[in-house]
Amino acid sequence: MKTQLTLTPDPIDELALITEREMSDGMGAALVFHGVVRAEEGEATIAAIDYEAFDEMACHQFELIFEDIDRQWPIESIRVVHRIGVVPVNETSLWIEIIAPHRAEAFEACQFLINAMKERVPIWKRPKREASSNSSQSN
Amino acid sequence: MTITVQFWSYFKDHTQCATTSLELPDGTTLGEAHTAVIDQFPALGDMRHSTLKAVGVDYQPDDFPLNDGDEISLFPPVQGG
Repeated sequence: MKTQLTLTPDPIDELALITEREMSDGMGAALVFHGVVRAEEGEATIAAIDYEAFDEMACHQFELIFEDIDRQWPIESIRVVHRIGVVPVNETSLWIEIIAPHRAEAFEACQFLINAMKERVPIWKRPKREASSNSSQSN
Repeated sequence: MTITVQFWSYFKDHTQCATTSLELPDGTTLGEAHTAVIDQFPALGDMRHSTLKAVGVDYQPDDFPLNDGDEISLFPPVQGG
């Protein structure tokens, strides 16, 4: 299974990612998931989320999750992009692409990946009332 | 032995630092090191049971034995996505 992980402070360029897609003839499902920053966090209205990562451990934990997926489903490739730093409301903070023979394993693997990420990958968020670079609220 | 402790997310707010070092007896476990950190930074005590603990880049249990030079990380539940 091919994997590609990117942690980046830059906006996610989906057009470029789609252009770079590689998919063999036997694959029938290309599943793409966008995690998008909502304007509400709890009962508060926010302007952005400031993401912080322990990069080295985050990459290692994502690799372990990829290995778990590879053992369970016949996935051809996974690409994950997670933004770090301030991500304004309505922008994508998480982008996932899974290429699989059929939709069932693609959906299952995607759900597994997101659930595992939220349990294990050391990334944290701080909601911000203003879309500037300074943190405004602990979470 | 000397170990380095890294704090992440709002734990840094509570400790007012990103890292610290501890001198501990040989054979100290990760859980005992965590207690030593709380002794030094009591504000972390309220989060004792929800704190996630890693040595290097792997999560480890409280009875994990530490070695001289280990880097441990303490942080709140993760929130990616």
